[in-house]
Amino acid sequence: MTEPKKIKKPRGKARVVTGKCVACGARCQSACPVDGVEMSEAGEPLILVEKCIGCVKCVKACPAGALEMFYTPEELEILAALANKGEEELDEEELARRRLVDSYRGVWVFIEQNSGEAARVSWELTGVGRELANSLGVELTAIIIGEKIGHLADEAFSYGADCACLIDDRVFSQYRTEPFLDAMCYLIGKYKPEVVLMGATGMGRDLAGAVATRVKTGLTADCTGLGIDEKRNLMQTRPAFGGNIMATIMCDRFRPQMATVRPHVMPMPERRPGATGKVVTESYTISESSIFTRVLEVITDKSGKDKVDVAGAEFIVSGGRGMMAKENFGMLEELADLLGGVVGGSRSAVDAGWLPQDRQVGQTGKTVRPKIYIACGISGAIQHLVGMQDSDVIIAINRDREAPIFEVATYGIVGDLFEVVPALTNRLRELKEA
Amino acid sequence: MIVVACIKQVPDTTQVQIDPVTNTLVREGIPFIINPYDTHALEETLRLKDSHGFKAVALSMGPPNAEAALRKALALGVDRSILLSDRVFGGADTLSTSNVISAAIRRLMDEDEIGIVFCGKQTIDGDTAQVGPGIAVRLGFSQLTLVDRIERIDTGARTITVRRKLEGRYEIVEARLPAMITVVRELNRPRYPTVPMRLASAKAEVERWSNEELKLDVNSVGLKGSPTWVSRIFSPQRAQGEILGDGMNDPVAAALMLVDRLVEGDLLAV
Amino acid sequence: MQQTLFAGILVASLATFVFSCYRRLALVSVGAGEYRFDHPMTRLKEVLVYALGQKRVMKRPFGINHGVIFWAFLVLTLANAEFLISGVFPNLNFTLLPPPLHGTLSLLFELSSLATMAAVSLAFLRRIFNPPYEEARTFEAFFILSMIAGLMAAYFGVHAAEIAMGEASPSFSAPVSSLLATLLGHTPLAGQLPVIKAVSWWVHAVLLLSFMNFLPYSKHMHILTAIPNVFLRSLGKVNSQPREEFAEGRTFGASTVDRLSWKDLLDSFSCTECGRCQNSCPAAATGKQLNPRMLIHAIKESLLGNGSSLPSSADAVAASSAASLIGKGEGTVSEAALWSCTSCGSCMESCPVFIEHLPKVVKLRRHLVEMEARFPEELLNLFENMEQRSNPWGMAPSERSKWSSQLDLEPFEAGKTEYLLFVGCSGAFDARNKQVTVALTKVLDAAGVSYGILGKDEKCCGESVRRLGNEYLFETMANENVNQFRSRGVTKVITQCPHCFNTLKNDYRQYGLELEVIHHTEFIKGLIGRGSLKVKGGEDLGRVVFHDSCYLGRHNEVYEPPREVIREVTGAAVHELPRNKENGFCCGAGGGRMWLEEHEGTAINRSRVKEALDQKPATICVSCPFCMTMFEDGIKEFTGVTTQVKDIAEVVAQNL
Repeated sequence: MTEPKKIKKPRGKARVVTGKCVACGARCQSACPVDGVEMSEAGEPLILVEKCIGCVKCVKACPAGALEMFYTPEELEILAALANKGEEELDEEELARRRLVDSYRGVWVFIEQNSGEAARVSWELTGVGRELANSLGVELTAIIIGEKIGHLADEAFSYGADCACLIDDRVFSQYRTEPFLDAMCYLIGKYKPEVVLMGATGMGRDLAGAVATRVKTGLTADCTGLGIDEKRNLMQTRPAFGGNIMATIMCDRFRPQMATVRPHVMPMPERRPGATGKVVTESYTISESSIFTRVLEVITDKSGKDKVDVAGAEFIVSGGRGMMAKENFGMLEELADLLGGVVGGSRSAVDAGWLPQDRQVGQTGKTVRPKIYIACGISGAIQHLVGMQDSDVIIAINRDREAPIFEVATYGIVGDLFEVVPALTNRLRELKEA
Repeated sequence: MIVVACIKQVPDTTQVQIDPVTNTLVREGIPFIINPYDTHALEETLRLKDSHGFKAVALSMGPPNAEAALRKALALGVDRSILLSDRVFGGADTLSTSNVISAAIRRLMDEDEIGIVFCGKQTIDGDTAQVGPGIAVRLGFSQLTLVDRIERIDTGARTITVRRKLEGRYEIVEARLPAMITVVRELNRPRYPTVPMRLASAKAEVERWSNEELKLDVNSVGLKGSPTWVSRIFSPQRAQGEILGDGMNDPVAAALMLVDRLVEGDLLAV
Repeated sequence: MQQTLFAGILVASLATFVFSCYRRLALVSVGAGEYRFDHPMTRLKEVLVYALGQKRVMKRPFGINHGVIFWAFLVLTLANAEFLISGVFPNLNFTLLPPPLHGTLSLLFELSSLATMAAVSLAFLRRIFNPPYEEARTFEAFFILSMIAGLMAAYFGVHAAEIAMGEASPSFSAPVSSLLATLLGHTPLAGQLPVIKAVSWWVHAVLLLSFMNFLPYSKHMHILTAIPNVFLRSLGKVNSQPREEFAEGRTFGASTVDRLSWKDLLDSFSCTECGRCQNSCPAAATGKQLNPRMLIHAIKESLLGNGSSLPSSADAVAASSAASLIGKGEGTVSEAALWSCTSCGSCMESCPVFIEHLPKVVKLRRHLVEMEARFPEELLNLFENMEQRSNPWGMAPSERSKWSSQLDLEPFEAGKTEYLLFVGCSGAFDARNKQVTVALTKVLDAAGVSYGILGKDEKCCGESVRRLGNEYLFETMANENVNQFRSRGVTKVITQCPHCFNTLKNDYRQYGLELEVIHHTEFIKGLIGRGSLKVKGGEDLGRVVFHDSCYLGRHNEVYEPPREVIREVTGAAVHELPRNKENGFCCGAGGGRMWLEEHEGTAINRSRVKEALDQKPATICVSCPFCMTMFEDGIKEFTGVTTQVKDIAEVVAQNL
């Protein structure tokens, strides 16, 4: 008996769109159920057409849109015919996903603090967390773990949190991975938040990576943009490939969705003193004897000020030949102090004896990557540029408009540094005192 | 006792450029290098081999061509290099990566005691800093991130004391061994391979472990075991350099403009 | 009786002498093999010019003094041979010769001895009052000079006594002796003439035999080795470095005498310690530990110290048992000294006996880099950058063609473009030198030259890493370049950088690639000469001085083309610096020093810039990107200076 054969939907074959592959790490190959993708030396896929079954998995897996389906003209005709009928079904996977996602609610911000003093980035996160919570229509909770940290709850409310969840115990007096990890996982297990945000600081990255691993969920580091899509998923945008491209990362099949954000990336929210919220005090204790890590000593930079570390500094004010004399470096010192940074210099400044050797930035000195690099009277010979060109922001102050330093500068001032630098220092001091 | 250096072969991101016309990544001729932070992890492993007589093992998960990085590790002096490579490992995010690497370390633990696992603080292509903590959690090792100095190792008492470099401060921390340590560049100065070692490493064996050896659930590795995925890639808005005001004639105004830009960009710590 | 005694002494002395020479020279055989016997006729000619002709010796002050002693020694060899023979067989002497010949010889001997006396006295005084270098006032030096003077005096003593006694007649063929004989007759010694003769004779005999036996143990060994050393010299300029065979189990570079070549070891026995190398060395002149004379001396000390226990011609496979040449103390060179060499070649250029210092420095550096991975901190970055990105700064290779983005340049294509313009790393990446590259393309375009560039595909030639002793890396880089040149069909290359120039021209030859490589100064000169390029001429650039690049000048002897180009443009000859052409003084950047900090002593570039500024020039002309950087940097150290530094290409471009 011959039933009228249902017209089989043509599946087509996958093919590579030239020039789009970013060699992400063989996602397509991994996604292929029939071993139909070979990777080239350069990390680009090669579709074995005879093996391809047209399952579209590789196309879906590709983050760069470098794979597409192609159909023969005949197949296209059939597709067009089918499209006229129109039907779409939900698969099992999607249903399971929805069930999981629905069981998690709420946005959390981990408040990083040190001896009861919150890190600024925590409030920046509270600001962006507020927006996410509003989009989702859920509460924003500040998670505060430490010793004698009750006062931070009010502060969290003033920056927009609806709720503060506190764990206050001696064992949390100083950050250590183990107890904080246990506490966080306990809270996540108990309250099931859908979004958890942490600062991408030394502490935040240490904790976030550990937590995400234990609760087996996704974590996106150093996000520069956070948003919510139409399916309540967090869209996490971050730089990749050394900042050469931006990628939007999703974690739609797992909860909570965790993300870290670097300090100063998100704007500081407006503070509303007197705002109130719900305080939840959790009592979660771990016995000290079960923790094998001890912080023996904390050394703040102030005590080691003589030993200036240019390589690790976040703000660097550098001087070159244009400084004219050793005495003039006092001016840079002043500016660096205001910024909380250090003074560095070019080879000629070091050669001239104006600065010690260990402050030299460049090919034969230190390679630096500060947030702000201010080059004063430095022409920018290649030997200097290679040591500082990866700085986040480069400011050049030089009399010579043709100086190569301006080619790499984010902001340049063509002028006499002996006039510009004091003006800059004065303005910053005004701001600080205001 | 074994000391493990986890290394990753990464594209040299400083050479990645965006084609201004097609707005796509120009990857032609971009070489692969050992993640710079990992070279310090490798160096510390070798130093402990030299000073304590530990056995140094380099470990990497990646495509077959990542063997080059492991060969370089051999040239630098590690005793063993192991490449974790399998189609099912491809497309991994940090969670499934740490799963594979910790499974490999567990396999090494069957052979000998593991003392320390070193990782770079992050990679230059991903910049996540998550695989290290992932390994520590999965193996139950002490987690010590951002270490810039090893103060002492007490093999008798099974403890290690390190200095961690954090924002504006250092912490001296003592922890139990085995430990997972992520290192910053200030920790050491990597060595350069000698020619005899290079020549020997060209022939030396880089072990290849696939999932047949590690026997992990295929749903917990590679793309399938990755909670996160990249939905979109696009070019960032590149700020072009800007010359502010007329610094020659009005330096004060130019300075004020600069401060305004910095305040707008929220770049100041003051 | 006397004859028998003397015969005994003579035989014993000769035997000891031969044995000593053998013992010393046999040590040379511990060195590695090296073929130095090709083109024997050319080699003989070199011996005539440089050894017998003393051509290089004469180039420096007091060189004539040495020439006199040398030629006199040659003449007196005959006299001394007669002396020794007649000592045993008194009847076998020159009187057997026909009288005119005998007379001529006698006159020659007399005059030579007198000239030697004078030259030796002058040398003695020089050493006291104005020595070539401070440490030259050694006991040995004075001892030898006294010995020679003594020999001459004894010679006259013997002959004067003979004449005075009437055994020989006074004549014009023995003017000095005759005069002395007359004088002797008027002194109380007149009655002791036989004693005087006997004493003089024995003094002469003892001094001669002692001198002979002392030679192998002193720096005067050079009397025996210098001539062979000139014969065995490198026939071409020592501007390349030997290749190494990278096979497992071998050792690389040299840290012990048995890893140097036998010629390196012979060099050490040929050194006269004249100090010319150290006086022209930029490192030594600015207070660095390097002293080329001491380097050669250390090799000799080390060879004497432990050469006898080493097997001969050991292949570089098994570990050497010899003491290291690198370190502190006698028979060693310090690492700091090795790293301070700029490879400028002035030591080799000034050496009268053609000792090749530079290959030894590079071999020792190779050992440090290749066997021990021990080198100044700054080089780690350099080596990694070269290996990974094929440029010294670690710039992205894709940025290599950025300098030309505003220009309309052809890519090189065999058949379509005649010349390849090999830009070089500095010309492609360094802001100041990019201006030179652009100027050069302007000049080439104006002359309608058919040329192309490799753009992003150009790679570093590897010059610095080779001079820094990283031969392994150089080999990789050289192969990449050679393969690219071959596959693209490159045959004619214009270079802007003398370092690229030398490497493409001389180093790549070892890889079987013969290119026609022309430095832009030569090329521009040719263009003007052929009339393809018209320069305005007569441009008043003020006083122009020209600084010779070591790799263009000394290493490749391109001295005139840049000067002629400047003359064409300005209409006036360049104002020469005190140290110019083959005596030019390095800017300090060669030998990989460009990438190293100068921690010791004073800055070389500062010293050279001062020399140039002392001439009060309006423009300092250079022909090398490294020199450009060193001069631009150095000139900033002097306040109130308006002098400009320009490459020849720029000077021409602005006068089209």
